[in-house]
Order: sequence, then structure tokens, then C-alpha cells
Amino acid sequence: MKRFEYLSIRVMALLAAALCIHLFLIAVLLFLAFMGHAPFWPAILSLVLLLGLLWWFGAMILKPYLHMERTMRLFLDGYTTADLTHLCQTAPTPMVYQMLAHMMKIMDSSELLKLNKRQAQYLALQNQINPHFLYNTLESIRSEALIAGLTGVADMTEALAAFFRYTISKVENLVSVEEELENCQTYFRIQQYRFGSRLDLTIECDPEEREEIYGCRLPKLTMQPILENSIIHGTECKIGTGHLTIHLERSGKRLLIRISDDGVGMDEEVLSRMNERLGRSGQAFASQGSETRGGIALVNVNNRIHLLFGEEYGLHVFSMPGVGTDVEINLPAIANDRELKNKEALK
Amino acid sequence: MREEVYRMERVTYCEQGVALLENFSMAIWTGEILGLVPANHFGLSALLRLLRQNLPLHYGFVYYKERLVNDWRFPCTGMNRVSTNRVSIIQNQSCLAKDLTVADNIFVLRPGFRKRLMQPGILREQLKPFMEDIGMEIPADAYIEDLSTFERFVVELLKAVVAGNHLVVLEDISTFISAAELEKLSRILRHYAKQGMSFLYVAAHFEEAQQICDRAALMLNGQIIKCFGGAEKPPDPFFLRCTEDFDRHVRERMARQDRTETGPDHIVFRMENLCSGLVENLSFSACKGECLVVQDLDNCMIQELVSVLSGGTRQKSGSIWINGTLSGGLNDRRVGIIQELPVHTMLFPNMSYLDNLCFTLDHRMKGVWGRGKIKKSLRREYAGLLGEDVFDTPIERLTERQKYDLIYTRIFLQDPDIVFCVQPFKSAEVSLRIHIMELLERFLNRGIPVVIMAVNLADSLALADRLLRVGRGGTVQEYCREEFAALPVNTPWLYLYQEGQGDGMNFQTRSRDIPVLRQ
Repeated sequence: MKRFEYLSIRVMALLAAALCIHLFLIAVLLFLAFMGHAPFWPAILSLVLLLGLLWWFGAMILKPYLHMERTMRLFLDGYTTADLTHLCQTAPTPMVYQMLAHMMKIMDSSELLKLNKRQAQYLALQNQINPHFLYNTLESIRSEALIAGLTGVADMTEALAAFFRYTISKVENLVSVEEELENCQTYFRIQQYRFGSRLDLTIECDPEEREEIYGCRLPKLTMQPILENSIIHGTECKIGTGHLTIHLERSGKRLLIRISDDGVGMDEEVLSRMNERLGRSGQAFASQGSETRGGIALVNVNNRIHLLFGEEYGLHVFSMPGVGTDVEINLPAIANDRELKNKEALK
Repeated sequence: MREEVYRMERVTYCEQGVALLENFSMAIWTGEILGLVPANHFGLSALLRLLRQNLPLHYGFVYYKERLVNDWRFPCTGMNRVSTNRVSIIQNQSCLAKDLTVADNIFVLRPGFRKRLMQPGILREQLKPFMEDIGMEIPADAYIEDLSTFERFVVELLKAVVAGNHLVVLEDISTFISAAELEKLSRILRHYAKQGMSFLYVAAHFEEAQQICDRAALMLNGQIIKCFGGAEKPPDPFFLRCTEDFDRHVRERMARQDRTETGPDHIVFRMENLCSGLVENLSFSACKGECLVVQDLDNCMIQELVSVLSGGTRQKSGSIWINGTLSGGLNDRRVGIIQELPVHTMLFPNMSYLDNLCFTLDHRMKGVWGRGKIKKSLRREYAGLLGEDVFDTPIERLTERQKYDLIYTRIFLQDPDIVFCVQPFKSAEVSLRIHIMELLERFLNRGIPVVIMAVNLADSLALADRLLRVGRGGTVQEYCREEFAALPVNTPWLYLYQEGQGDGMNFQTRSRDIPVLRQ
């Protein structure tokens, strides 16, 4: 009897009963017509009416209902965070529609982004980072090092200061590919002090398209966390020199950035899990804070891309154990912040 | 700025609740030949179906020429499902009308052709520049059924070009055409790629894909795990991971040299100056326990040879000797023949498993069909090897592996003096190829020579003791195992032979120059 607690089941049962009664009546009318007690036309008319009703029911009720069920199932599985009122195309009642609209308003993508931002600010506060204090201190260290003739220390401090300046300020902004690449190079310079010649970075870009690609806009700190991931999880554990490559390419509507390493890679199972997490951004939002497994940086970057540009864009990982890992970042090729659909998120 | 012809973005595609493609991402650029190397066939046919039609997705997005054509949120239904993407798929199974001419297939059977009256002269003229463009000479009036496999592939390709399709998928075609034809086809693909067409080349081996394609993507269990640029070295760990057993087999065989008994006393099979159809003056022999690979360089004589060996056709001249006596032609059970794609050609679905197994046993046991006792005893004996359940399973419900087991065990039971195997690894995924290799080794271990007839060396070489490369006119180049490392082709497992040669542990290289022309 538990099944009957759902309205849909009750409606289905009612419709099945109505159908049975209608069929019974048609059978009676046909029987009477065959016996010569009644004309044929009422039976035929009933049959045509029934077929018409069934067709209408299938097209106008059953199909949208099944579509709605499927969309909701995928929403629950975490595949999407997009507007359900738009995806479902129809709703059972006006109140349910309003409820869905209200729910989507609550989890508005720009609101989610703001929540992310607030979390970042909170973390910065928690870490007691005062940007100006940090820059000033680093500059002081740099000048002391220069006076003492320690150019290596001075350069390292300069790189660290540049990195922090870029990282801490205005996290919510869109930046140009060129700026993001510069930050990656700064970060790489810092890492090189640790790894020395064990690490090298190549940036590949078609010279004819360089200007166009470098002018494209993307969310700040999109590439650096992935590069960091490649170094820490990919090449750090590798014996011998690690080669990192940032490959930039542009098609008509897309900007494709591939960050590759020739590190330890990951097996098929881990890869599958990683891509599943990246695909189901809804799940990542639902379990925000409770997630403890690795690959947080990738999921975080992916979520930001989803929120800003839509689910059509994002990250995808390719990897083979012992061969290396490629992280492909897929973005819309926009040269101006005004072209961004979800401008609210930047305010 | 480059343009993307086709993109699948995180596609998850399910059929009957099973995810056949999972987070599948792939992009093909204009003018690119992308290689796809499936380590297993899981999801491959689903991928081809999705390329053909915009089927409802569980999740993901499909773009054609940078336009969203399939969105999981708004699945295409009814007539819309028929793909608007102009994609052609070329497979072994032809989509051409066999009873029509080349020109009819290319021009008349294309969407948008409105003429009511055909003018063959005009069609011939229209086809001419296309043929000249690629340096081919296929008559416009030739019927499709009269064309060779390679010519058919070219016609299908031209059909795609004329129809204005931007993407052409070529599925595992190297197993159907010879190495020389493959080279020619590769040149044609390059020519059209320069004109902006794109190709997805599905290949069984990484080396082959790398030879032809700009990039090669490795597919495993319905997802692309890695893409490699054309110049990148084949990843050794890939072989170690996906083909570990294959490597082991090759290495084991390299280390074990004592099985083949050579010398005139051990010759089991001898073919002398055989002429039949396109086979001219072909001579070769096989010794006890030897695995001989006969590569048909021009893809023109395998079927003829099989027909002669099975007694279906009588040779024009020449002789075939088995253990010192002439071959008996039709139903000579001393010759075991395993046909190409045997699961489709050598099984009888209307017969039981046991009847299929006993099919060629009549010469060994009289009254095998009438006496249930023999069959029962066979069942008991082979249940350990084949499994108890298979005997009660209808043929159609057997797995691919079980079907191969049945066919090879049937030939094993036949106890032939020699086994001829036509392209045994064709269209089989990696794990199945390993199993086929083990099945063939069963014959070799019993001292039965195996002759593998193939147009493409691919995996055959892993098992071979000797290779004969046969060209038109009966020219034969002979290579012994020690000389495989110097083969002038890019074939899988070549690195293992080269390693073996480098080590100098397992065998010594002969000093004479290769190839040795015997004819």
C-alpha cells in the first residue's frame, strides 16, 4: 500500500480504471450492435474517442511527465545544477512550478559563486593573511637579500611576492590568458627553486593565433591550480625529469587549454572516478565541505567554470599510469567580460 | 583559426541500463586524421551508432561543426534522431548497392539528387576528375560486386566526398586490405584531409594509427584514456598494461625454439608451383610444429587458396602434398581450415553445441552421429576444458570466447595434419586475441603445423616461426624468426623482436641479406 502514497500512482490507477470501464462499455456497445439491438456508430465513435484520448494523453501528459521524471533523476544524481523549471518544460501544478522556481532562486549560480567567494575570504581571514603586510614583508626580504648580494633569494622573494599579489587580489575577476600564463610561469619559477632542472615547462601556442588566444578571458586561477596538481601529483613522485606542457588552442567558439605532464599518471578506475566527479558538479555542490578525497583543485576550478559559463564547458582528465596526465580545460572563447552570460556572478 | 568538426563532451550513453560510453570526450579538427585505438571493443559500436545518429544521451553534449546537435537535456526523438551531422562510416560491411555501378552509387544514391533520367555519359564525366584527383582508375560503369575490397573502400570514400560529408569514420579497415593498399589509402586520406575533410580512423594497433594519423586516442572500457600526438613514441607502459599477456607470449616463444622440427624429414605439408586464379607458381612447405604466416601482399589470393585447400576448386597446375601423399581434395580431413571470422561462418545455430563440436569427427569415429554414447563421453572429457554449462547453451547465446573455443576444439578433435587459419585475429579485441593465440598454440604443441593466412601482419607475427610475404606472380619473400626485427614494416611487437636481437640471448641473427627471394 506504500506505493499509493504518491499522487502519480493514484492518478495512474484512476486512469487505468477509467480505461477499463471505457473498454468495457465499448465491448457492451459492440455486443449489442452485433446482436442487432443497437446501431454500430456509438461503438465506433467511442473507440475513435478512446484512441484520440490515448494519443492526447501520451503526447500531452505521459511524455512531459517522463521527461520531467528523467530530468529530476539526473538532477538528484548530481549531473546538473541548471534551471529545473527550464529543463522540465512543464510542471504538474502551478504551485510545484513556483516551488521549483523558488528552489532554483535559492541555489542561483551567482549566489553559489558568491558563497564560494565568501568561503575563500573566510579562509584568508582564518589564515590571518593581510595582503599589504605580506607584500611589504616580502619586499623587505628582497631588499635585504640584494644588499647582502643574495640574488637567488631576492629573485625567489620577488617571484613569491608576484605570485601572492596575483593570487590574493580580486579572485572573482576574469583575467586574460596572458596574465594567467604569467602567473603560471611565476609559480613555476618558485617550484624550480625546489626541483631545479628536474622540472621543465613548455608553453605551446600557434604563433599566428597567439595574440588572439592571449587576449581571451578566463576565470582567475584556472590554470595555476592545475599546474600545481600536475607538479605535486604527477611529476613529484616521478624519477627523472618531469616535463610540463601548457598547450593553447582556439576554435571558432572555444578556447582549449591542455595542461600535460609526463608523471606517474593514474589508472583507469581513478581516472573514471575523477571524470565522474567533474561531470557531476551538482553532487560537488551538495557535498560542499564534506569532500575529503583528492582532486579538490580540479573540482573547484570545474565548478567555477560551470557556474560562470554553463555545464557545456569545464574540465576533463585523460591519463595513463606511467605515461602521464592531460587536463583539458574547455572554455568559451570570449575576448571581453561583456560577452559573459552570467555577468551577475562577477558583481 | 582551426575549426572543430565533431566534438563529444563528457558523453555518457546507456543502453538497457548499461553505460556503454562513460564521460567520453573527443574532438576532431578540420583536416585532421584522428586515430582511435580501442584496447577492448566495449562501447565502440555504441560510439559508431552515436556518430551516425543523435541518440538520446544519459549525459553530455555533441557538437557538429561547433553547433550543439545533441544535448542530454533535450533529447532528439522521432525523425530528428536521424543525424543532421554529415558523417560517413566505412566498414567491412558495405553500404553500397551491389547491383549498381560505381557512378550510380556515388552520384545517384545521394541525398539531394533530383534528376529523373540518368545519363551515364554525364555521370562518367563527373566522376573522372574525382578519380584523377586521387590517382585511381576505377571504371565508372563497373558494378560494385566486381570491385576489390580496396576499390570498394575508395568508392565509399568518394561517395562521402561527393555528398559533402565532413567526417568519415574508417573502422578497422587494415584487416581487409593489404599493406600496399593501406599505404595508397593513407595517401588518399591525406589528400582529402588537406582539402578540409576529417577522418576518424579506428585501428586495432597503436603503430598503425600512428603511421596514418595526426593524433591517436586510446580507448578503454568506453572512455578515452589518453591522446598522443603523431610524433610521440608509442607508450611502452600501454603495452605492458593492456597487452601484458601478448608480450609474455611473444617473449616465451622467442625463448622457446625447440618445438619446430625442421629438415626434409619433418616436412608435413608441401605446395609445389600451385596455379589457380590469381595464385601463380606458389610453393612453400611447413614442418612439424611450425607456425608459418603467409602474408598476401596484394589481397588477392587468400580466398582462392582456401578454396583449393578445402577442395572446392581444382588447381590449374601444381600439387599439394600432405605427409608424402597428395591432398585428397574435398573432405580431406587431414587439412583443418579455420575460416575468416569463424564465429559467423563456421557455426550452425540450429545444431546443438555437441553436434557443432563433433561436426568433423566422422572420419575418426564411425557412427558418431547415431551413437549418443560417444557424444556423452566427449562431453565428459571436454567439460573440464570448455565448461559444463556451454553444452546446454544454444549457439547464439554463447559468448564470443566460447564460440572460438568451440570452433578451435572442433578442429582439434578433427586431428588434422595441418591447420590453415584465415586472419584469425581479425576484429577481435585484445583479450580475445590472446585467447586465440593460446588456442593456436594447442595445435603447435601437439606438433600440428599452423599456417596463418593474412593480409595484415598485425598479431600473427607474435606466433610465427617463419613469414612468407607473397606478392602477385608468386614472388615470395621469406623471413625467419631471427629476421623479424628487420622487417620493413611498422608492425606491432616489432620492438620485442628488436629487443631480442639486441640482447642476443635468444637467437643469433643470420648474416645473409634479406629479403630472400625464392621465386
